[in-house]
Amino acid sequence: MATMPKCEELSYPFCPDESKYEKLAKIGQGTFGEVFKARDKKTKMVVAMKKVLMENEKEGFPITALREIKILQVLKNDNIVNLLEICRAKATPYNRYKSTVYLVFEFCEHDLAGLLSNPQVKFSLAEIKKVMQQLLNGLYYIHSNKILHRDMKAANILITKTGKLKLADFGLARAFSDKLNRYTNRVVTLWYRPPELLLGERNYGPAIDLWGGGCIMAEMWTRSPIMQGNTEQHQLTLISQLCGSITPETWPGVDKLDLFNKIELPKGQKRKVKERLHGYVKDQYALDLLDKLLTLDPAKRVNSDDALNHDFFWVDPLPQDLNHMLSRHSKSMFEYLAPPRRRVPIHQPPQQPGVVRPAAHNPDQHFERIF
Amino acid sequence: MAGNFWASSHYQQWLVDRQDLYRERAHDLKVLSEEDYQKIMMLFSNVIQTLGEQLKFRQQVIATATIYFKRFYARNSLKCIDPWLMAPTCAFLASKVEEYGVISNSRLITTCQNIVKNKFGHAFNGEYPYRIQHVFEAEFYLLEMMDCCLIMYHPYRPLTKFCADLNAEADLLPIAWRMVNDCLRTDAPLLYPPYLIALSCLHLASIVKQKDIKTWCAELAVDMDKVMEITRMMVNLYDLWKTYDEKKDIQAILARMPKPSPSRPPSEAPNLQDSQQQQQQQQQLLSSVP
Repeated sequence: MATMPKCEELSYPFCPDESKYEKLAKIGQGTFGEVFKARDKKTKMVVAMKKVLMENEKEGFPITALREIKILQVLKNDNIVNLLEICRAKATPYNRYKSTVYLVFEFCEHDLAGLLSNPQVKFSLAEIKKVMQQLLNGLYYIHSNKILHRDMKAANILITKTGKLKLADFGLARAFSDKLNRYTNRVVTLWYRPPELLLGERNYGPAIDLWGGGCIMAEMWTRSPIMQGNTEQHQLTLISQLCGSITPETWPGVDKLDLFNKIELPKGQKRKVKERLHGYVKDQYALDLLDKLLTLDPAKRVNSDDALNHDFFWVDPLPQDLNHMLSRHSKSMFEYLAPPRRRVPIHQPPQQPGVVRPAAHNPDQHFERIF
Repeated sequence: MAGNFWASSHYQQWLVDRQDLYRERAHDLKVLSEEDYQKIMMLFSNVIQTLGEQLKFRQQVIATATIYFKRFYARNSLKCIDPWLMAPTCAFLASKVEEYGVISNSRLITTCQNIVKNKFGHAFNGEYPYRIQHVFEAEFYLLEMMDCCLIMYHPYRPLTKFCADLNAEADLLPIAWRMVNDCLRTDAPLLYPPYLIALSCLHLASIVKQKDIKTWCAELAVDMDKVMEITRMMVNLYDLWKTYDEKKDIQAILARMPKPSPSRPPSEAPNLQDSQQQQQQQQQLLSSVP
C-alpha cells in the first residue's frame, strides 16, 4: 500500500475556501442566514455570498440549502439569479470547529424593495413594464421547470445596475407536480401570501407566485407593500377589502378549505381592485393586469404565460430598459441597507382595520400603509 | 423535478468517459483486479440496497444513493473515505435530496450497526465503528466531490413509458425493472444516459420472455450500439454472479482494498468534544497519508 500514490485531490477539489473572497459589506439578513457583498481576491470579481446557517446539527447539511442548491443547478435563465459556486470556511478554533458554507452568487447591485424605498428612484410606465415583463418571464421559466418559488416579495427581486431583473432566494422553493399534493402552507411572507394559503390550502400550484407578482406590481406605483397585515386573519381582512368577499360564488370550492369556516371573513365586500388602485395607477392596461393577478380564485388567476401576452406589454409605451434610469444612481440600494421605513412587526397584536396605526418603532417613518 | 435531462448536470457533467473512469481508478487497480473492484462495488451496492430497504426508502432513493456512491469513487480512491462510512452517507444525503425527509441520526447509525452484524457479517468483523458526526463530515466531502450535482435521472421512468407504449406492463416491466436494479451493480449508470439503460434492460427482458419487440425497436432513433454495450455489461454481470459467492470470497478482496492508514476506529477516539483530537482523527479518517 505504500506504493499507492497520495490522493492529493482530497482537500476540496471543487469547494474553494472562503478566504478566496474578501467580504466588503453585509447586504442582507434572511431567515436562512446573512448575505455579504464580497470580492474574489484574485479575479476581483464582485459576488454575493449567502451564509448557510448550520445550526440544526441534527440534519447534517441543511435540507433548505440542499433544495436551493439543487434547484439553482437546474434553473439557468437570464431572470434567475446565477449560483456561481459553493465555498466553505474551514473548521477552526474560532468557529468551534463547525464549518460554514456559503452559496456564492453573481452580484446584483439593487433589490426592488431597496429601489422602491428610495424616493429619488423614479420608474416611468415603460420601465415598470420592463420590470414586470422580466419578473413574469422568470416566473414562466421556473414554473415550466416545475418549480414553485414560494417567497415572492420585493426584497427577493434583484436588479443589476444595467437593469436586468433576477428572481432570488430559492430557500423556500420546491418542485411541484400536477398530482394531488400536500405541501406545507406555512410559506410566503405574510403581506404577499395569497388567499388560498391563508385559508389552509395544501394542494397549491404556480398561482401562489402570481399573487405575489400582483402585489409587487402594485407596489411599483404605491412604493410600499399594498396589504400589510399583522396576522393571517388581518391579512385576509385586507384582501377581502380589496378583492371583495371570499365566497363560494366568486371562488367555487373555497368552502372546502380547512380554515374557511374557522376564520371570520368580512361579508358583503365589493371587489375594488381597480378603484382602490386608480389613485396610484392611471394606466388602464396596468389596472386590468393587476385585476387579473390579484384574483381570489387561484384557478382563475392569470398564469405567467397569459400575463406576458397581456396588452399591457404590447401597447405604447413599450417596455423600456432600466439601464439609463439606473445609471443616475451610483449607490447600491438594498432593503437591508435602506433607512427603516415600513418595518411593521409581523407579530404585532391584531388590530381593527381602519384604526390609524401609530408610527411603528421608527419615528422617522414616512410611509403610510396604503390600505 | 425539472423535466429536461439534456440540460441537467447528470447529462452535462456526470456521464463520464470509460477512459476517464479507468484513469481515475488506476490507483486502486494497481492493487485490485478489475473484477475485484467490481465485486467491492457490488458489495456496497448491496449494503446501500439493504440499508435503504430497512429505512423503508423507495427504490428511486436507493438508486440515487447508489449512484452518489459510484460518483464519489469515480473520482477518488477507495482509501480516501472508508466505503463503510460512505455508504450510509450517500443514503443520508439521497433521502434529503429526494425529499424523502431527514433520517433520524440514531436510526441511521442503529440500522448500520444492525445490517453490518446481521446481513454483512461475512464482510465486516466487529462493531460498526462510525457515528453520525462522521456521516456529517463525509457528507460534506461527498457534496464537494459531486460538485453539488444532486439531481439524478433514473431508468425507471423511461422504462415505464416504453412498456406502456409496448403494451408490455404485465410481462416485460417487472423483469426489466429488476434488471434496472441489477444494473446499479455495474458502471453503466456512470457511462450511459438512463433511457439507454432502460432500453437495454427492456431488450434483455424481451429475450428472457421470448417476446419479439424488433419492430418496435426498429422505429427508435437511438444509438443501438450503445444499447448493446450496456447489454454486454449486464450479461457479464450475470455471468459473474453464476460463479461468485460473496459470502465466501469478499473477505479476501476487502483485505486487499486500499485503506486509509494508520486507521484507528473512530469510536475508540477518546473524546469527540476534544477538538484537537477530533481534527487529528478526522485527518486520519478522511485523508490519506501514504
